[in-house]
Amino acid sequence: MAQMDYMPIPIVLIPGDSFFHRLHPIPKLIWSIGAVVLAFATRNPLVLGVVFLGGLLLFVLSGTWRGYGRFIAILFPISLSLMVFQSLAPAFPPPWTPIAQIGPFTIYNEGVYSGLSLLARAWAASNLAILMVMTTHPSDMFAALQSIGMPYELNFMLMASLQLIPIVQREFGIVVSAQRSRAMMAHGFAALLPSMVPVFAGTIERVQQLSMSLESRGFGSKGEKTSLRKIRASTTDWIVGIVGVCVTVLSSFLVIRYRHELDWSKLILMPPWLAVSIVLGCAGTFVVSTVVLMRRAGRE
Amino acid sequence: MVENLIVCEHLWHTYAGGVTAVQDVNLKIDAGEVVGVIGQNGSGKTTLVKHFNGLLKPSQGKVEVSGLDVGTHSVNELSRFVGYVFQNPNHQLFATSVKEELAFGLNNLGLSAAAVDEGVDRAVAFFGLDRYLTTHPYRLSFPLRKMVALAAIYAMQPKVYILDEPTTGQDHIGVTLVSNLIAKLREQGPTIVVVSHDMRLQAEATDRLIVMRRAEIIGDGTPKEIFSDHAVLEATNLHPPQITRLSQLITKPGLPNTALTVNEIAAPLASTL
Repeated sequence: MAQMDYMPIPIVLIPGDSFFHRLHPIPKLIWSIGAVVLAFATRNPLVLGVVFLGGLLLFVLSGTWRGYGRFIAILFPISLSLMVFQSLAPAFPPPWTPIAQIGPFTIYNEGVYSGLSLLARAWAASNLAILMVMTTHPSDMFAALQSIGMPYELNFMLMASLQLIPIVQREFGIVVSAQRSRAMMAHGFAALLPSMVPVFAGTIERVQQLSMSLESRGFGSKGEKTSLRKIRASTTDWIVGIVGVCVTVLSSFLVIRYRHELDWSKLILMPPWLAVSIVLGCAGTFVVSTVVLMRRAGRE
Repeated sequence: MVENLIVCEHLWHTYAGGVTAVQDVNLKIDAGEVVGVIGQNGSGKTTLVKHFNGLLKPSQGKVEVSGLDVGTHSVNELSRFVGYVFQNPNHQLFATSVKEELAFGLNNLGLSAAAVDEGVDRAVAFFGLDRYLTTHPYRLSFPLRKMVALAAIYAMQPKVYILDEPTTGQDHIGVTLVSNLIAKLREQGPTIVVVSHDMRLQAEATDRLIVMRRAEIIGDGTPKEIFSDHAVLEATNLHPPQITRLSQLITKPGLPNTALTVNEIAAPLASTL
């Protein structure tokens, strides 16, 4: 791979012709919001795991699993830090059940459960949204949101942010090359400073120029605006959207209705060896992956 | 003159998306040469020169710079010999003062404090930046930022300078300044590679032009030879400087038929009037 093609976090449209690519953006948005609602309605790791795995299946079916795989490979190890911190300081009302000791640190059963829940929640809540970004052209999303009455300026802000991600990532790659050309070794956080300043300065400058360019072309003017892209919702889109709403409402109702039955924090008592293994494994993976990512950022 | 300071042997480069940007390029550049690389957008100019400091590695073939195989040496190692000045100076300026910016590369090379100061002073003197030493680079005008970016590379005293579109965004004064800087730099003997669409700059500042088209080199000669080669110019849709085109159209005895500068044609033309 050419060193100039730097795409650290690949949250961009991945062109394709799958069912999900052709699906109207609004049903995709409905399902994404539904996943978020369900993810925050329960702490049950099994329910959250099912939502996450369901999302993974959709990535495979849409042909975007490679892009998502790169995303997970970068962020999943970092997210393991949630397990570590939760195990030691649970986001749960006390009393907590200590199950193991690592030096001065106590691992709590509720903490391990909470860590698993939070990890599963983070990934369950986000993966459908990421699928939406990877299978939806920004202009289609813009047109769809405008058609449901979203304020123009807010809509534009959302789309401009999405489009800025690959631009900033590309800029970062160019800047890193420029600094490496001046013998920068690029290790550790200190090496990031020579790269981040030009990126941020360039981004601010670009945004300022963009705002002047937008104003010069009538952005913010009153009155109804037309759109070059028109997307229409087919019968399938309507069905998917309505099913999405129904599934969200029903599943959220069920997990709230049966929240006591789904609260396994007292039912699952983690064996000490397993708890220690999980915590140490997650801590080690988090540290190693962070170091690897930092070094990779400047490596050739 | 050291021969073959930069050697490309059957160089190919294909990007991750499958685009071959450099195709079977064979090239030798001697020490002290000032070489221009010209061609349409997407012809492979920048891809080619980015091999010289290791930013890109060959997909096939070999590139050697000062005896070092680019494929097996890091950008860090090659930066001691090759200085790359990027088109947009904002991509490399990050320090809070011009002085720190000039010192950055020297510090990365692990030089002593005295050597760093000496390098900075040398760059300041060469580029006339003494007024701006404590100025934040982002407070400078764009032409001055370009100069600081070039000075920051100069401070490292590389054997090879790669200037990527040095006159982009510059007015006439800026272009003349860059041209004069290249002339002043070449007196010190480094090899200079200029990638630019500015034909006037290429005509005035370089000894040799390499013409690229669709990932291949299709022309390699002096500016006069290249600007007289209509087949190459037509294939690449490049246009010589206006003064060159004028001299080619005025076919009179005693007048140069491929003048590169106004001065070259002014006196002979005046004598015929």
